[in-house]
Amino acid sequence: MSESSDIFAGSTLQTADLKPFQILAPDGRPVREELIPDLEIVEELYRRMARARYLDDKFMVLYKSQRLGNYAQFGGQEASQVASAFVLKAKDYVCPMYRNTAAMITHGWPIEKAILYWRGHPDGWRIPDDLNIMPIIISIPGQIVHAAGVALGIQAQNLGAVALSYIGEGGTSQGDFHAGVNFAAARKAPAVFIIENNGWAISVPRKVQSGVDYLMRRAEGYGIPGYLVDGNDALAVYTTAKKAVEDARVGNGPSIIEQLTYRVRPHTTGDDPKAYRTEDETNEWIANRDPIKRLKLFLEYEKRWNDDREVAMQAEIETEFTAALEAADHAPAPDPMALLDYTMIEPTWQLEEQRATLQARVAAEGGAA
Amino acid sequence: MTQVIDKPVGQQETRPMTMAAALTDAMDVALTRDPKVIMYGEDVGRLGGVYRITTGLQAKHGEARVFDSPLSEAAIMGTAIGAAAVGMRPVVEFQFGGFMMPAFDHIFSHVSRYRYRSRGRWKTPLVVRFPVGGGLGLLEQHADSPEAYLMHTPGIKIIYPSNPYDAKGLLLAAIESDDPVFCFETIKLYRDPKLRQDVPTGYYTVPLGKARIAREGTDVTIIAYGGMVQPAEAAAEAAAQANVSCEVIDLRSIVPLDIDTIINSVQKTGRAIVVHEAVRTGGVGAEIAALIQEKAFYSLEAPIERVTSFDTMPSPFNALNHFSRPEAHHIAEAIKKVLSA
Ligand SMILES: Cc1ncc(C[n+]2csc(CCOP(=O)(O)OP(=O)(O)O)c2C)c(N)n1
Ligand SMILES: [Mg+2]
Repeated sequence: MSESSDIFAGSTLQTADLKPFQILAPDGRPVREELIPDLEIVEELYRRMARARYLDDKFMVLYKSQRLGNYAQFGGQEASQVASAFVLKAKDYVCPMYRNTAAMITHGWPIEKAILYWRGHPDGWRIPDDLNIMPIIISIPGQIVHAAGVALGIQAQNLGAVALSYIGEGGTSQGDFHAGVNFAAARKAPAVFIIENNGWAISVPRKVQSGVDYLMRRAEGYGIPGYLVDGNDALAVYTTAKKAVEDARVGNGPSIIEQLTYRVRPHTTGDDPKAYRTEDETNEWIANRDPIKRLKLFLEYEKRWNDDREVAMQAEIETEFTAALEAADHAPAPDPMALLDYTMIEPTWQLEEQRATLQARVAAEGGAA
Repeated sequence: MTQVIDKPVGQQETRPMTMAAALTDAMDVALTRDPKVIMYGEDVGRLGGVYRITTGLQAKHGEARVFDSPLSEAAIMGTAIGAAAVGMRPVVEFQFGGFMMPAFDHIFSHVSRYRYRSRGRWKTPLVVRFPVGGGLGLLEQHADSPEAYLMHTPGIKIIYPSNPYDAKGLLLAAIESDDPVFCFETIKLYRDPKLRQDVPTGYYTVPLGKARIAREGTDVTIIAYGGMVQPAEAAAEAAAQANVSCEVIDLRSIVPLDIDTIINSVQKTGRAIVVHEAVRTGGVGAEIAALIQEKAFYSLEAPIERVTSFDTMPSPFNALNHFSRPEAHHIAEAIKKVLSA
């Protein structure tokens, strides 16, 4: 050590080498045998992740045939979303962003509603009243601050619940990420903040966002736990989320979990990643680090899985999705009044006047048709 | 600006350009002319922005001058203020107008007052560009038209081009302006093939604060800007079939506002309609209507009409967009109304 750094000994940031927490290696072999959860749970995680992947694949197909609007795929991030939302109880809240369809269906969002939402149909916008899922937020990172507030409300009313929110690694550059996490931390509010570090914010690589190696290091600045997790290892995600959620529930305050994953698919159905990254990079993740394959290999080693079970499961998934799609296809055409409904509980006279204009326009169109 | 001898417009070469191409070309010209011009924002570097308006600029002018910023509109706006104050001419991008709001403190509290606050010591010659407007079935917050918030903020200028020639000339004038300028780029117009026109390849400007008469007429004045100029022209064309002569004014910039062109027209026609895609209440239309009654009250033959979106968020319900976002036939109804008054 040089003399100048000596004088700061013990008073500067210690940069310990961090390694992501892992239970299963990418080849499905356990690296922390003692931490393997109950195999029933592992199996259920596998099913839920396969179900999510099927949905993501189908949504792309629907988009291409113009039966879905622009959609933010999560494919490749199933462990990161499903295995974390899976630890929640029904009374817990999810505060989602646009890429969280997998987390949302894990917390109970019906697939039919997900289809309608991504079709721009008002019936998909109302998340069923028995689900504690807040609105999908597109303006980054609103949901993080709302989650801090949901946690505050939970705390004030002693609901014994937890607010779980997600953010991309790009989104952590917004000032409001700090504002929300800091507030929750200062109040020891029951929130968990998951950073899904998928490597890319549209075309912008992770390193452009910040000079720090791992974003979870920010937790230290809030005085809360920060975890670095292999986000494609469902068991590591599950175990960490469980710890963070239960800590929050018993009053120990929030945590930040950084899940290292990769956005193997385009940013949204409208994006072409060839414009900014190599296919080799993406293919490496698909070939060697797929979260679903990893879990399946493990279940096969454990003799919990075989081709028959796989075929039966895929058939179940397909049946469920097909029924949901059919129900969505039969949803009534949106009521044009949806444009103005819910703007205000006590509508202004201007809104009433505009309602009359809208009614006249609808009548005129009906007449012309 | 560095001194460059430019050929007058008449002698310049031209190239057919869409509005997107014209905007790109304007920035290329600005980067070439003035080493103080820098450009940054989300995805503007390698990708060239989600609408590819900065395409090729990083490759040509280097990463030091055209680069991706961290994902923070507040940081993009706030740093542009600081950099501009000490001598740069930042041209920054928000990915969509709907994502401007995280930067609003730096707009409302800072860039609008920086010069005033320092009693003229610091100026902030910067430009902020962003795509606006709907009708394309995109996600929530990808179809907003937030000009009224900015018009209501003293100290800044607003340009709102409706065609390639104006877009390039206005943007170059904006980059030269010593006041901060916000450039509203209508997504629907970016690559509209109908708008493709011959645009000079070199440097020229279109002055801020000078409206364009898009169509001359004598019976009704229709005031529009950006993406609403086309529906206004279409409504005027339809009215002409019924022997109603409409004058269409394309404002080109909202601040400064070309009040003379508006008043001259209304004094001639006696009837005015203001069209905008933004919500109605407290909108640009309200301000223009107030100005017309202040300055041309005795010329008016009918109450001023506003054709706008409803007072609610831009429709994310794709099948319903057309009921809210102004269309030519909505303007046609307003024409009937002002004529029957
Ligand atoms: C306030 C705001 N600014 C810009 C955008 C446009 N935008 C949508 S997604 C995105 C990148 C987000 O990357 P990241 O946070 O890493 O999440 P990911 O999409 O990778 O899941 C951007 C810039 C936005 N949605 N909100
Ligand atoms: Mg990301």
